[in-house]
Amino acid sequence: MLVLSRKPKESIVINGNVTVSVLRIDSDNVRIGIEAPREVNVLRHEIYEEIRKNNQAAAGSAVDKMKAKLLVKN
Amino acid sequence: MLTIEHNQIEIESKTAEAPKLKRGLKLHFESGLLGFEANREFELILDDELHPYQWLKGVDADQSFLVIPPAMAVGNYGVEIADDDVVLLDLKNPSDAGILCIATYHANEKVTINLKGPIVYHKETGRARQVVPLNAAALSLSHPMGN
Repeated sequence: MLVLSRKPKESIVINGNVTVSVLRIDSDNVRIGIEAPREVNVLRHEIYEEIRKNNQAAAGSAVDKMKAKLLVKN
Repeated sequence: MLTIEHNQIEIESKTAEAPKLKRGLKLHFESGLLGFEANREFELILDDELHPYQWLKGVDADQSFLVIPPAMAVGNYGVEIADDDVVLLDLKNPSDAGILCIATYHANEKVTINLKGPIVYHKETGRARQVVPLNAAALSLSHPMGN
């Protein structure tokens, strides 16, 4: 992992089109600004992870089993 | 921001008037689904035997998902879509947008659906994205289906 030190109001440029700025630092809270093209999906890590895991569990989610289940129900 | 409200009556009238529109609709995900960023092309298949579920079948990869229009699962469902997503999908008004939730079939045969990270697509162009709505904190990741 690349580790850099930045002060408030300083920023990092990634790939020429994504800018990550440190806006403010409180005691245990860092406020970060991100400028990126629209198609770059920027999400909080924990939200990305929970949806990614849900997608992974859902992938290939048993079309045949679902059909069987629905048949039984009807 | 675009607010999309999905309720039972709306979806029923829509499926009644244009069932063919959605049959075999190709969906293009510019940035894939979360965790499946490389899989971009899907086909939405309506299969009577799966009703009310639909089948989102991968075209460029052997990867498919069970999906369901949220109106078939919850009484009322509203998502607030961020401006960037609205522009990317070229949604001019809420009626341009189709919305689907991914269903998970668990080992214990229970089914849950993801209301928190829905798939939003443009009904005409098929441009699609799995979005995190602005009101995601109030939406369930694994809403239990009742049976």
